[in-house]
Amino acid sequence: MSQFLLVLVSGVASGAVYGLMGLGLVIIYRATDVVNFAMASLATLGLYVALSLHDRGVATVLGVLAAVVITVAAGLLVRETVIRPLGQGQLFSALVVTMGVSLVAENVAGSIWGDQPKAFPSLVDGTVRWSGAAVPAQSLLTIAVAAVAMALVGYLFARTTLGSAMRAAAESAETARVVGLSSQRLARISWALGLGLAALAACLYAPRSGLVPTALVAPLFRAFAGIFLGGLTSMYGAVLGGLTIGVLDNLAANYVSASFRDTFVFSFTVLVLLIRPQGMFGTRTFQRV
Amino acid sequence: MFPTKRNSRRALGAMAVLAAVALTASACAGQDSAAAGGSSSEIHIGAWLPLTGATATYGVGEKAGADAYFKMVNAQGGVNGRKITWTVKDNAADPQQTVQIARELVGQDKVVAIVNANGTSQAEAAFPFVLNQSKVPVVNEVGGTESWYKPPRAGLFGTQTLYEDQAAAIAAWAVQDGAKKILVVHSDPAAFVNVAKQVEPVAKKLDPSVEVDRLPVKYQTTDYTPVISKVKAAKTQAVVLILTSPEAAAFLKEAKLQGLSLPTYAYAPVAAESTVALAKDAAEDLKAVQLVKAPSDDDPAVKEFRTAMATYEPGQDAGFLALWGWSNAKVFAEIAKTIKGPVTSKAITEAYGKASSVDPGVSPVMRFSASDHLGTRSVQRVVVKNGVWTSVGDFYTPPPRD
Repeated sequence: MSQFLLVLVSGVASGAVYGLMGLGLVIIYRATDVVNFAMASLATLGLYVALSLHDRGVATVLGVLAAVVITVAAGLLVRETVIRPLGQGQLFSALVVTMGVSLVAENVAGSIWGDQPKAFPSLVDGTVRWSGAAVPAQSLLTIAVAAVAMALVGYLFARTTLGSAMRAAAESAETARVVGLSSQRLARISWALGLGLAALAACLYAPRSGLVPTALVAPLFRAFAGIFLGGLTSMYGAVLGGLTIGVLDNLAANYVSASFRDTFVFSFTVLVLLIRPQGMFGTRTFQRV
Repeated sequence: MFPTKRNSRRALGAMAVLAAVALTASACAGQDSAAAGGSSSEIHIGAWLPLTGATATYGVGEKAGADAYFKMVNAQGGVNGRKITWTVKDNAADPQQTVQIARELVGQDKVVAIVNANGTSQAEAAFPFVLNQSKVPVVNEVGGTESWYKPPRAGLFGTQTLYEDQAAAIAAWAVQDGAKKILVVHSDPAAFVNVAKQVEPVAKKLDPSVEVDRLPVKYQTTDYTPVISKVKAAKTQAVVLILTSPEAAAFLKEAKLQGLSLPTYAYAPVAAESTVALAKDAAEDLKAVQLVKAPSDDDPAVKEFRTAMATYEPGQDAGFLALWGWSNAKVFAEIAKTIKGPVTSKAITEAYGKASSVDPGVSPVMRFSASDHLGTRSVQRVVVKNGVWTSVGDFYTPPPRD
């Protein structure tokens, strides 16, 4: 039983990271119609800055804050310089541009900090033990931080004027403009929020994986699986989809095969999408011909 | 006589024809020199290395080590008075780019050999042009498979103990340490599976009562919690890791966390500084095999490497990867020294075929012959002690594989 709980908690911790990244992807997608492939690479730049500060004796928490700030700043720069000029609704052009930005960011990180794997510090040390099993305190912190971040995002969108404005702009940028909302300002806030969540997720993930320029490719891949599973337009779906992917991944590795964990998880995702193409929580959209 | 307009045109035309003839002749002369190779003042060699991309760690490290060696040799007067010029081009580990780079190195730069390049599939993509068409030797490539050397190919010589032999060496080590039940934890791509499969036959050859199981793990797994659960359930006495360095570090960290304390052995890609950096104290006592001695050794040949790195490549990591590059550069220079006369592609190939004993000091003695183009099957055993890879004993040759 303790072994099952161990695998479950570890899966929830991984899933929390995928959920946070997925939430960031969905917020940006809903606000600006951009599937931001560069999100993980930009967060990696933030991680390297955090590590550099840590190596110079700066507290890890401050390093994490710096990572968030750098990631947000880099993301906003990308949006203003290469995404915004594309215009509204250029889904595929924007997708390709973010892929390109992702490669550039990885190469920049490799050129400045090298490609050698580096250890990233945990926010907390220590282990929680029960009946022979042990979970790193960092994993429990990951779950807690992700839960708080998700709750705050939920509060922002459900209970605040800014959140209502962002939802309105996501539903119809044109209508939002008519009622006096600045769609560009809201888009910038959405990008900042999405990238901030990605940076936070990266800081929670990196102590386990170590840091290389491509460290976040695997979690981004799973975050995408999570948002498709949960529903591309649903923030709750992104979170629950990410958690489902993380838990299923670990359960499959433990009870099916450590080699076929991806196969199992993605087969499940495909199965769900066959039954509900809009994902578990997504809404089906129709277009008039 | 004053030149007329017609005369001027004729003169210009004649000059154009002469210029064309001269350019053609010069180009042909260039081709002749490429075929013959060899300059009295320099030995121009080249390499493709991944200096960017996912495997850049290997390329950058190898380049630093080889650069340090060639700079040191050139500062000491070169090889028989010839300076070594080593032209390195970044292939980003891409086979297609490697083919283009091979054409540039051979066709434009006129290198007489490809030395200390990196990558198995990358080299294989370039072999038809470099080895078969241009007859330019490829020597001391980092990578390679058994099929490169059995049967031997003209112009292809290697200095790296095959991964399969590394697995055999690990198996022998675990059996010698008394393990009766061994679990091989390996990544699931075929390149890892093939290596992992070599553990069982060698272990059983040494002790028929040994049991060997394999546990495949998804490539680039970072969460090893379920894997450690399976290892615990297997009740094994020793673990062999055929994983990448970050994967091995993740395994070791989780094993320590879950209180799993077993003798753990690994092949050369795991015996890297990055494993210790990522796993920290969880890497303590990890045993592995390497192609070279540990860079921290007190051995004079290793000290020479560290001194040269500090002198010629300051700021670069004097670790295992740099030592690979250093060793390969040294083997080439030692063999090039035996060439009397012009150092051509043909002369290099012949010299390698006759190099029956080349001792780079930092790696096993290389023994080439006309029928054996792979210089060594030996490895260095290394162990993590106080956070540093440390050599154990001398070079070790594993039992022959079937």
